[in-house]
Amino acid sequence: MTADTASAADVAPLAGPRPGLRRRLERAAPFLPGLAMLTLLFVIPMFIMLAFSFWKTNSSFDLVRDWNLNNYARFFNQPTYIRTFAKTLVMASAVTAAGLAISLPFTYFLVRYVSRRFQRAVLLAVIVPFWTSYLLRVYAWQAILGEKGALNQFLMATGIIQQPSTLFVYNDLAVFVVLIYVYFPFAALALYAALEKFDFTQLNAAQDLGARPDQAFRHILLPQIRTGIITACIFVFIPILGEFLTPTLVGGASGSLIANLIVNFTRQGQFPEGAALAIVIAVFVTILLVVFRRSLRVEDVVARG
Amino acid sequence: MANRASALDTMPVSPLAQQTRGCLSVVAGATLVFLYLPIVFLVLFSIEPADTPGFPITGITLHWYEKMLADSAIHSALFNSVVVAVVVALIATTIGTMAAFPLVRGGIRFPGAARILFTLPIMIPGVLIGLGLLVFITLLGIKLGLHTVIAGHLVFTTPFVVLIVAARLQGFDRRLEWAAADLGASNRQTLRHIVLPLIAPAIIAGALLSVTLSIDEFVVTFFTIGPQLTLPLYIITQIKFGVTPEVNALATVILVVTLTVFGVGSVLLGTGRRFRRKDAA
Repeated sequence: MTADTASAADVAPLAGPRPGLRRRLERAAPFLPGLAMLTLLFVIPMFIMLAFSFWKTNSSFDLVRDWNLNNYARFFNQPTYIRTFAKTLVMASAVTAAGLAISLPFTYFLVRYVSRRFQRAVLLAVIVPFWTSYLLRVYAWQAILGEKGALNQFLMATGIIQQPSTLFVYNDLAVFVVLIYVYFPFAALALYAALEKFDFTQLNAAQDLGARPDQAFRHILLPQIRTGIITACIFVFIPILGEFLTPTLVGGASGSLIANLIVNFTRQGQFPEGAALAIVIAVFVTILLVVFRRSLRVEDVVARG
Repeated sequence: MANRASALDTMPVSPLAQQTRGCLSVVAGATLVFLYLPIVFLVLFSIEPADTPGFPITGITLHWYEKMLADSAIHSALFNSVVVAVVVALIATTIGTMAAFPLVRGGIRFPGAARILFTLPIMIPGVLIGLGLLVFITLLGIKLGLHTVIAGHLVFTTPFVVLIVAARLQGFDRRLEWAAADLGASNRQTLRHIVLPLIAPAIIAGALLSVTLSIDEFVVTFFTIGPQLTLPLYIITQIKFGVTPEVNALATVILVVTLTVFGVGSVLLGTGRRFRRKDAA
């Protein structure tokens, strides 16, 4: 179709003069059920959680609406909480860094050296585990790291160890590995979307003009895939702030993260204390989302069917 | 793409390019193994006769599948999961599809804020959604049950539907609607006979995605459920008692079902792309 015919057809039939308010309402109406649902089930609960975090439970675990900052004071005064929170941040950062370190070469190879048709297949192979049950993906690791797991059997078969080791599971390292596994697809999808738009001949041009490969990579490639990198980081870092299943299943007693504390409080009916910790996480998440909002490409990761 | 490849071949490349490429292919291969190995073992242990799954594999049996099929606790958990997933998919798909229209085509006052509101539940950890709902429900004095689970699942499934349908609407050739209007169709008729049939693949894909997300959801369910169990909650109670091959069998079945639903969804989305306005891309 030529440009001329397209522009001619682009002129919409006139709807006629319509009163503005009615028309506006008509156009916005389909939005209202969704808005009402999210307001009722998401926005209001978040504010109520905020209110809860300033209340307290008495000795018989009844809720007392007595506004105070004790829950937060306790968080900042108890070394265990601060330590767990710091550990969560370190873990989230480490997993994010490792996830990038794995997914960047992976997607780079995929986009640059794999044929278009095959790229789709590999990408699908990455997405598929992403859409399968998160619980099952964590559970599957017990088959590898556990006492009778594949890793032990392999090491015993090769004679590296004589007895099955219990060192591979129920510690921070296991949590680290499994979290990389769980969140890798997010990072890969975000980076793929960014790299796909990159013209790799620019790297050759840079080298032609005398740049070393690492310089070309740093000054030409990295700035252009910045949004992809940031999206990848956000999509890995934020969910880990709320992780409690992976630490529960493969972290053992010492592997707890901040969300495990929330779950413990909730189990004991101490909602205000749990809510305060949740608000601390929510504040972190909000800051990250606000700071990086312009670089965040949610569609790149989740709307790729 | 052929052009790009041939241009690359003739351009000056670093002497290390060949080695880099070799290294990268090894990394990529290892990454794929890393992605699939746990799933392979998960499935492998479901056909292993021993009571505690693990190596060495001593044989092949379908015993655990039979046991799983006969387990009444699994039946009721499955029933609960399906009820929740179906109700969630119906509601989320309906209100999500509706919301996508004004989001893409304008008509709402603060489109930026609306967009943020509809992406937040995807980004925010499930713990926050779950606990928020739990305190809200507690405050209102509502009893926990499947209905509260449904409420929780709606929060994060609806935004996915919105995203998927909005993505298709973005590429929708509006000239088709204008042509219909030119030919005398009412708004309702245009919607019914032109727009909905063309974006149907995205709507169905959104519905299927809601089903898989809902069936697999653990965290939000964990906070909002009453005395009942859904499949993921059943699985976690079993895992806490110790790893059993029955869980592996159940996991394998869930994997296969999820993948099938996912496959149908992506095929539909692929079909949907054909109707996109080519020159708009």
